[in-house]
Amino acid sequence: MTTSAQTIVAPARAKTAADTATVRRKQGFQHGGWFVAPFLTLFALFVIWPLLRGVYLSFTDANISGDSANFVGLDNYREALKDPLMWETLGHSAYFTLLVVPCIAVLAFFLAMLAHHIERGKWLWRLCFFAPFLLPSTVAANLWQWLFNPGTGMINHVFGLDTPWLADKSYAMLAVVICTLWWTVGFSFLLYLAALQGIPDHLYEAAKLDGANAWHRMVHITLPMLRNITGLVIALQILASLQVFDQAVVMMDFTPGPEESTRTIVQYTLEEGFTSYRVGYASAISIIFFVIVASVAVARMWLLRKREEGVR
Amino acid sequence: MGRPGLNRRQLLAGLGGLSVASSFGFAALGTGTDALASDANTRVRYWNLFSGGDGYNMIAMLNSFRKDHPDIAVKDSTLQWGSPFYTKLAMAAAGNRAPDLGVMHMGRVTGFSPGRLLDAWDVDLLAEYGVRKQDFNPQLWNRGIIDGKLYAVPLDSHVQLCFYRKDVLKKAGLLGDNGRMVPVTSTDEWFDVLKEAKKATKKGLQTIGIWNSDQNFQWWFFVAFYTQLGGTWFNDTDTEVTFDTDKATQVLQFLRRHITDGYANPTFGGPASAEQFVNGSPFVWEGNWSVPVYDTAKIDYGATPLPPVFGKPATHAESHAFVLPHQSDRGGPANEGAHQLAAYIIRHAQQWALGGHIPAYRPVLSTDAYKKLTPQNEYVSAMDHQATEPKVWFAGSTGILAQRVGPIVVSSTMGSAKPDSAARRMKSELTRLLASKNPMDGKTAAQGGAVA
Repeated sequence: MTTSAQTIVAPARAKTAADTATVRRKQGFQHGGWFVAPFLTLFALFVIWPLLRGVYLSFTDANISGDSANFVGLDNYREALKDPLMWETLGHSAYFTLLVVPCIAVLAFFLAMLAHHIERGKWLWRLCFFAPFLLPSTVAANLWQWLFNPGTGMINHVFGLDTPWLADKSYAMLAVVICTLWWTVGFSFLLYLAALQGIPDHLYEAAKLDGANAWHRMVHITLPMLRNITGLVIALQILASLQVFDQAVVMMDFTPGPEESTRTIVQYTLEEGFTSYRVGYASAISIIFFVIVASVAVARMWLLRKREEGVR
Repeated sequence: MGRPGLNRRQLLAGLGGLSVASSFGFAALGTGTDALASDANTRVRYWNLFSGGDGYNMIAMLNSFRKDHPDIAVKDSTLQWGSPFYTKLAMAAAGNRAPDLGVMHMGRVTGFSPGRLLDAWDVDLLAEYGVRKQDFNPQLWNRGIIDGKLYAVPLDSHVQLCFYRKDVLKKAGLLGDNGRMVPVTSTDEWFDVLKEAKKATKKGLQTIGIWNSDQNFQWWFFVAFYTQLGGTWFNDTDTEVTFDTDKATQVLQFLRRHITDGYANPTFGGPASAEQFVNGSPFVWEGNWSVPVYDTAKIDYGATPLPPVFGKPATHAESHAFVLPHQSDRGGPANEGAHQLAAYIIRHAQQWALGGHIPAYRPVLSTDAYKKLTPQNEYVSAMDHQATEPKVWFAGSTGILAQRVGPIVVSSTMGSAKPDSAARRMKSELTRLLASKNPMDGKTAAQGGAVA
């Protein structure tokens, strides 16, 4: 954030320095262009091209056999906007996001504070909190499938419950959320931990001298200093959670869950494209979903800029 | 503070090493053996979806084929069961990279664009290798015929069964002199049986597992009992929905009652049903593929077709069938090899029966070896009382019909919807599906010619 502010004010203060910087940057770009070329090639091949192709397909009635795709204009979009299943599955994804994002932010912060302040066995805490994140989604989901097993699973056993976690629509999404928390909290935890370590010690020392207790130090120093990172965690988690798919699908054995309660928009897109073979229609749904996700990202950038302007 | 200690680096290095090591491990698991024999003249590429016990039996059959026919090299690939398999098969056929032989569920054949993604069998060639219509149940054989051509040759019928624990039923006095469960012919009799069985059941176990939250199983059970009631789906020309909501309501109420009367515990509605059965729960409704599971668990059990509680016996049946995925240049030795291989497996299905499936090739059923198989010999009659999904493009194992209508059955069984309103929802979903077009050819069921 600070670097961008510097570049904006730089030209006014030192023109010559800025000129050399521009020249250097130009050369740097030409030079660096070759370094990013392999990435750009793959990016174009596997992201840009499929995206454009997807946009094109969404205006056709293409099916999986690949032939006889007719141009149908906006028909797919019209159908999608009237499709109750699309809205329902979008709702499921949104509900998941609503549950996961605040929980992850709070939990990650709490765990980071814990790992930051506890002096003994620091490495163990960090390992414990971060390790699940390294697991593939299928492993995490299978693990929790066992933990949630109503008869033999640990959860019901430990808490003395008789809950059909994965078989009842009132618990199914919750179970997916719990699994996701355990699995992905490590990433946000790491971001928070790094940010905590970046807070200068002298702030705390000065506060101590002024007689601030631990609570005051947290509320008036730690939390404000973590504001940017919290924004980042929330934004990244929203983007990731909206795209929830693999853990839900694996936990539910590739079904849409009890009474279709865990069928997410991504799963619905997949089903329309690859079970119902309606590639054109599935493309239209995914474009609609893309627009929604992209607007979340854009909204975040806009908010961030507003805030920076406010700070200045 | 402030500075990260060395600890973190160690941690990351350690974890990095761990994940690299594990990825190597998984990569090693991914490499299979190539079954290509070097001295063979003909190569037959064969895709199937059999894993677990079925996979083991299929490979055993392939190996005995290889031994008997050293001139034909069979290159078999096993793919993930369910939608991914069909997607892959469809795309391979569309891209003209299809294998010489494939396996499908019979119910999926109609929707798989026969003629475009599937090639027709050469009936005479099949007969040469010993597979003829008269050796099969005609109803089953006819399911593979579309527009007068044979597109799928049945390997088996796999049916939904009522598994029962002989030890518990004996205690409850529900075992006949022949050592089998007493026959049941009405819903009242069925619930009486459950009542008695419940008394003999160990504490903490449910009386029956009915997969109450599983949309596939619930849909299969619905199809079975709805067929027992004589219910129909569509008229002959597939232009009208003939689904009977009264009969459907009756079936849904019947399924629901297992929970409301306390015989099925909704907590153990998924795979836990099978675990409970192994632990001593007296009943579970399951597919016949569970036979090897319960054999391995070494429990004293039997299996009958789903009880004919509505009078007429019928149980849900699907079928694994051999198909010829479309190749633009189909023919020649590879095609003949495909015919030969399919015919061989169909005729040597004794091994296949160990997996619980009922071989479609009737002469196998009358062998002594088959008659000695238990509990297979107890439910072999299910072959002649098949309740199948309607023959339309959206039907078939894990197809759109099951995906859209199955959850409605579950909602009723689980109690979040009333049976009669669920039945009406099923009907409107069926109406919608009947009017919808097959994305493969842009035709509705009525236009698609799903007639035998």
